[in-house]
Amino acid sequence: MAVLADKTERARFIPGQADMWAFVLFESLVFTAYFGFYLFYRTQNPEAFLHSQAQLDLRVGVLNTLVLLLSSWSMARCVQSARAGAYQAALRDVYLTAFFGGVFLCVKVFEWARQIQLGNNFDTSDFFTYYFFLTGIHFVHLLIGFVVLGVAVYQLRSPARRSQQLVETCATYWHTVDFLWVLIFALLYVVR
Amino acid sequence: MRRIDGELILLWTLPATIVIWLAAFVLFPGFMPPMSPTMSANEVAAFYRDNAAAVRSSMIVFNWFGVCLVPILILIVMQIRRMAHRTPIFSYAMLGCVASGPALFLIANVCWLLAAFRPERNPELTQLLNDFAWITFTILVPYLIGQSVILALAIYFDDQPNPIFKRWVALFNLLVAAALVPAAFVGVSLTGPLAWDGVLSFWVKNIAIAVWIVVMGIVLGQAVYRERAERGSRGEELVDA
Amino acid sequence: MSAVITPPESAATPPAGPLHQRIVWHLSRSPKRELWLAWATMLVFYNMFFPIFFIVAQVQPPPQPTWDHAMQVHWFNERHLGIPLGLGIIFAIGGMNSINNALIAYSMRRMSITRVFGYSYLIIYALSAIPGLYLLCIALIVGTLRPERNPEAIEWLYDFAFLSFDGTMGVFLIGSLIWMVAILIDKNRVFPKWFGYLNLCNALTELVVAPCWIFRRGVLAWNGQIAWWLDMVVFGVYQVTFIVMLFQMIRREDFGTGPLPDLPRKKKVAA
Repeated sequence: MAVLADKTERARFIPGQADMWAFVLFESLVFTAYFGFYLFYRTQNPEAFLHSQAQLDLRVGVLNTLVLLLSSWSMARCVQSARAGAYQAALRDVYLTAFFGGVFLCVKVFEWARQIQLGNNFDTSDFFTYYFFLTGIHFVHLLIGFVVLGVAVYQLRSPARRSQQLVETCATYWHTVDFLWVLIFALLYVVR
Repeated sequence: MRRIDGELILLWTLPATIVIWLAAFVLFPGFMPPMSPTMSANEVAAFYRDNAAAVRSSMIVFNWFGVCLVPILILIVMQIRRMAHRTPIFSYAMLGCVASGPALFLIANVCWLLAAFRPERNPELTQLLNDFAWITFTILVPYLIGQSVILALAIYFDDQPNPIFKRWVALFNLLVAAALVPAAFVGVSLTGPLAWDGVLSFWVKNIAIAVWIVVMGIVLGQAVYRERAERGSRGEELVDA
Repeated sequence: MSAVITPPESAATPPAGPLHQRIVWHLSRSPKRELWLAWATMLVFYNMFFPIFFIVAQVQPPPQPTWDHAMQVHWFNERHLGIPLGLGIIFAIGGMNSINNALIAYSMRRMSITRVFGYSYLIIYALSAIPGLYLLCIALIVGTLRPERNPEAIEWLYDFAFLSFDGTMGVFLIGSLIWMVAILIDKNRVFPKWFGYLNLCNALTELVVAPCWIFRRGVLAWNGQIAWWLDMVVFGVYQVTFIVMLFQMIRREDFGTGPLPDLPRKKKVAA
């Protein structure tokens, strides 16, 4: 049927569902708007932002970024393994990805707890409003990422399923979460 | 085949509901005659002080029995499902109205009870609660209008030689819906026909609701009994309820 | 079960002719008339809903949480007629929302999934209209009732109204997620997967407005750029999209239980 041929052709050029890429684009636009607001209000009040920003620990941010990049690497390996038919290896890679994701979550929660201990809360200052907001909404995306990894595991486990397209779709989502974090890291931690 | 045991029990709760609601309605001192929106805060506070017992008892009864119409409305949903439609959209829409209709009424009910709880409260606060209760009570029409219009549409689209409800029921529902519309504009004025004690917002609205309950109760009862007769004549065993 | 009738084949084709004649046919004689009626109701409802809130009652975009009592009282006084009239219309037409929800629940019934999704969505959206819409309209109407009311009481109504609008989005959040899951696991291809993901975007945007309970100023206040403006943009895109998606679904509908057929190519070009 013409429709099916169309779909398999698309699968050769775009990894995963094209629909997921539409989602990625939309979320990126929304996050761009968030970043835009952050940068705008930062220019209105550079000293206050700088002062608050100094309280963030750059090392923790770098650690988290590395962890998430590692998780993206393991997810990419998973896609490769699945493509080659090595499903046990692919499964191991998904579990590895989930592990790295879990490490990220723990470090993030620890960082939040430390900031609150230092007296920096959601409504303490403008910078920290953005900090908790951006890292918070990213956290939610990461939690959704675990559900997505669950879908990948479910697909990889049984020979009846194992849709390459779906595994690639899950990988696309996970890479997006990583990508968004890199941007957040750059904006909140690095740009001073 | 849909199970219909017990529908008669639910149907016959309607006369009981009507009696209880009517009694509570008459017992509430703010309804007969309806309180005026132009009463000052002190007059409102005095009202709750002097009538605390009657307010509390009538509203507690309404609180207990406020949802009693829901089984009747679901019986109507079941009859809509028997109509000759291609999709269940009308029964879904009706279900959506039924699910939240009593909630607005219960909010008004709670506000009246709150106002009567501490009659010695600052009169302005009591007046605020009273305003909230009255506006909510009068303006709770969207679900009722929705129900009537959806039922009318369902009846008009019921294309079969023996429709579940006759065509005039649809027209009746549209008239009731129209009668309820003015009450939505209760906030426009504190006096006149649209005010919460006015002809349109109080008398027409509440009488329309009462007439709807009675007429639909009878029409629904006929439909339910007719369905049981059809099933019985097809040789099914029915529990006598 | 609803009694399903199969109309004769000849009745299933629309007559050729001017647009308004064809519309009348679709709404009254077509086998899909119930669906088209529901869809038309949805279109009319949303076309009235936004102008009423923005232009007649002028309660959107929302005023600021940081205004003092005098400005709040003044805001209510400016709208002492617009609010009861405009919001009165909302109460009169609010029942249409039930038909909208019924159409969306129907889309889930057409899918290859359990009926639980459709019913859950129906109930969630039915009752979420109370905190999310009706209560706040009542608060606004009560606010305009007595200009001489104690300004602190007016402030309470003011807060109630706008927090109730932004801050109760959680109820819509879960509904969106239910529709999303339904679309993503559906094998009948009722909707494309990207529309499922758009539901996720909508759900996330409703998460983001929750901080309005915390902030009185800034981007996350009830009138803030993120909590209101960006939220409205995403919500607006979502609304227009689902109205179009439902339109396509009805056109494709074959009243079967298998995958929904795609629209034939030439019809797409002609439309």
